[in-house]
Amino acid sequence: MDVITLEDVHKSYDGIPVLRGVSLHVPRGIVYGVLGPNGAGKTTLIHLLAGFLRPDRGIVRVFGDENLQQVDGRVGYVPERLRYHTHYTVREYLFYLGRFSGLAGAALRRRVGEEIEACGLTSVVNRKMSALARGMVQRVGFAQALLSQPELLLIDEPTSGLDSEGQRDIIDLIDTVRQRRCTIMVATHFLDEVDFLCDRFGILHGGRIIAEAETRALRQSSRSVVITVADLPSSTAVALSALSTAVCCNQREIILTPNTPELQAQVLRLLLDHGVSIISLAPQFHPIEEFYRSAVRGEAGRHGESDASPPPPGPSGTGDTLLRELLRREDQRTQERQTDEP
Amino acid sequence: MQALLRTFWFAVFTLSEYLRSGRIVIELAATAAAYYLFFRRWTLPMTPDYFFSTVGLFTLGLTVYTGSTILALGDRPQGYVTLARRLGRGPYLIGLYVSVLVVSWGVYGIICSLVALTNPVSGLDIAGWMLGTLPLLLNLAMLAALLTLLTPIVLPAPWRLAVLALVALAFSGNLIGGSTMSSLPEPVALALEVLRTVLSTPLLPAFTGFAISVSRDYSGASAVVPVAQLFLVIGLLSLAVYSFARRELLFSA
Repeated sequence: MDVITLEDVHKSYDGIPVLRGVSLHVPRGIVYGVLGPNGAGKTTLIHLLAGFLRPDRGIVRVFGDENLQQVDGRVGYVPERLRYHTHYTVREYLFYLGRFSGLAGAALRRRVGEEIEACGLTSVVNRKMSALARGMVQRVGFAQALLSQPELLLIDEPTSGLDSEGQRDIIDLIDTVRQRRCTIMVATHFLDEVDFLCDRFGILHGGRIIAEAETRALRQSSRSVVITVADLPSSTAVALSALSTAVCCNQREIILTPNTPELQAQVLRLLLDHGVSIISLAPQFHPIEEFYRSAVRGEAGRHGESDASPPPPGPSGTGDTLLRELLRREDQRTQERQTDEP
Repeated sequence: MQALLRTFWFAVFTLSEYLRSGRIVIELAATAAAYYLFFRRWTLPMTPDYFFSTVGLFTLGLTVYTGSTILALGDRPQGYVTLARRLGRGPYLIGLYVSVLVVSWGVYGIICSLVALTNPVSGLDIAGWMLGTLPLLLNLAMLAALLTLLTPIVLPAPWRLAVLALVALAFSGNLIGGSTMSSLPEPVALALEVLRTVLSTPLLPAFTGFAISVSRDYSGASAVVPVAQLFLVIGLLSLAVYSFARRELLFSA
């Protein structure tokens, strides 16, 4: 059974349409991304699923139920803007919100303690909400949403307004959350978030989901990758060439053609082990960005709009931190595959 | 039982935020000023009529301020985080309402304590105080319930204006007196009179409640006035909860 079902959902504010027939299905256990520029209606979509709004037309079902009041407690919500009650300490705030979720006594204490630790809030637990940095506030957002151990987590623009380190921390946090077998819907305008986090994503454009794709399939369709380094010692170049015939390198660049996630991980590990300073890693084309552009271009063509390709909704990141992240993830995937194999 | 418990905790949460934010200072300053102006020891002893009419009007005025401020706390985007859990909309609204009541009844309690300690009302024993206090507190509860109903998160703007217009029309007897009425064409005057009678009927418990609070005379039909006040409170709150449960949540930015 799908956790989320939207069928031909329309929503407008004061006669201005925001959603014009959104249909999508999210199966249990996946991370689904809703990708779209600011103002595309992502928050409206999340608010419909949280039961704050009602569709003008169409069907919104969560856990198969159209009455969203019935699923209270099974859904967690992390809002876009960091607007929380600021007059409490982190611990007090989580205790109150836990009580509103129906927790009490030892169970409440245990759950608050668990989420404080899981979300990395131990060092700020007695600090007032108003004194927290944005990244920490966002962590509180996750902790409060996870208190009731939801089966579905709705996350609205999780890294909006955070610096790159804060963004990475939050992405790591969401990655940890996904291991709880919780279905997650992330609304974002960052391509990287979709790339790193989502199993599947849909592009929200013109009030409709105009295209959907599996990120893994798209990632695998990227055949070549260029890794730019500051300076490649000849000994490292020899070691790299010995890895595979698909590796081709000069003093500044290493090109992997055809690229595979395993090969990419091997190369990156070798570079890091040899202390080579990595400047960037760029696919020959960014698959998600390309997919986004072609989907929007196709949509514009259907509606007779300008053929000019619109800019993608958000930046795609590169750099050393990103590479380490990719490497870590690839390790994790390999480990998972090994575990799954009998 | 669970819903009651959540309502209680939400009221505690709201009150705690109200106190910590320092907004309560306004109520405390107003209470101190009212005590200094109206209730401290003068040359003549204070009569029960004077005490109940003055404290009744003061607390009504302050409840309007307290109600607007606390209910505005419930109309912020922070509410999404609170409502995205098992709390439920009914307990959310009732929690805000209870917070308003606690503050306005608390102010009344403070004034009564100060008066009892420094300038006791002559000829008012505990029983008389309780008889005057009951309809007064119910009037505050009624006003707080009306303010809750008129909150933007509960009723849309046209409905709020309509309710306010009806209340104004019910009160228009104080503004449009006999001479003005007689100058109006007869059908208009008659229609206005009928409308005024119909609309002011639900407000009767409020008017008579205030009168009973001052007189403390429960003889005859007056005995049922507190019951009517209680029903009006329940009616207004039920309407507010009904409307809020059906509204879309678009909190003020």
